[in-house]
Amino acid sequence: MKTISTKQQVLDEAGYTYSFDREIYFNRKTKKVFSANFVDDHSEDELVDSIREDSDERRWRFYFNGEPSTSIRSQLERLLG
Amino acid sequence: MVKFNRTIEDRLREEYFDLLPEIIRVADQLETELRYHLLPISNQLDMFERLIVKSRIKACESSVAALQRRQEGKYFDLDQPELYRLTSLNDLAGIRVLAFPSNRLVEVDEVLRALYPTWKSDHILRDGEVLAHKYFGYCTGSGKIKGEYQIVSMLTGLFWEVEHSAIYKPAPRLRGLVKLAGMQAREAAVIKALNDFNQEFEDAVRLSLEDPL
Repeated sequence: MKTISTKQQVLDEAGYTYSFDREIYFNRKTKKVFSANFVDDHSEDELVDSIREDSDERRWRFYFNGEPSTSIRSQLERLLG
Repeated sequence: MVKFNRTIEDRLREEYFDLLPEIIRVADQLETELRYHLLPISNQLDMFERLIVKSRIKACESSVAALQRRQEGKYFDLDQPELYRLTSLNDLAGIRVLAFPSNRLVEVDEVLRALYPTWKSDHILRDGEVLAHKYFGYCTGSGKIKGEYQIVSMLTGLFWEVEHSAIYKPAPRLRGLVKLAGMQAREAAVIKALNDFNQEFEDAVRLSLEDPL
């Protein structure tokens, strides 16, 4: 079984920063955000697939267990810039 | 007239202080009931055995933070403030039963399961093993405030008390420490050492009872 630490390493190597306050991993270049819950609940392979997925680099893409509401999305987008 | 827009946090703080007398009542009732029903066990403890019942009321800011922690991204949905109610928390009033050595935990669990048969379990697990038996539900003192009780080995429980703000429920500033692989390994090593100590002690007691010489 892959541990959280291994997944963290995958995210580190892909250039993701962890926000302790928000419990999210984010990458400003690829404009992707992973919630800690999503990372906990998905396998390392699924995580790698999500990291590799093409993204529209103009809009933030959220990998959350539940689709974030417009309000939560806009608060996070404001924070991430 | 100046109009103030209250935040969701402010609404929840108001709700907290409206609920506080009832939360205190639930904590008092649960502590009293548990102590009373555990008397047959606590009155028969050997000199080396210990059984402690402690109650606590969740603090206002911890309650608000607990609701916020449930949200991915840790933001409240500002468009739906009605989603957030402190009464949805299971542990506004909480009791912890600590026992040493650990073999008393099973007895305590059986007594309390019979006392609150409809309460739901939400055990604290580590690598598939139960670290603490945890249950929540309503007592006769309130139909609004849920109570929770935990039954945990005294050594682990006291370790949690010391490490509470760093590991068990980390303070926001220290939350990152928990994710460090080194800290996780050390914490796991402490829990294992405490369990091993418990086991060794229980084995030694059993042997001494079999062969008092």
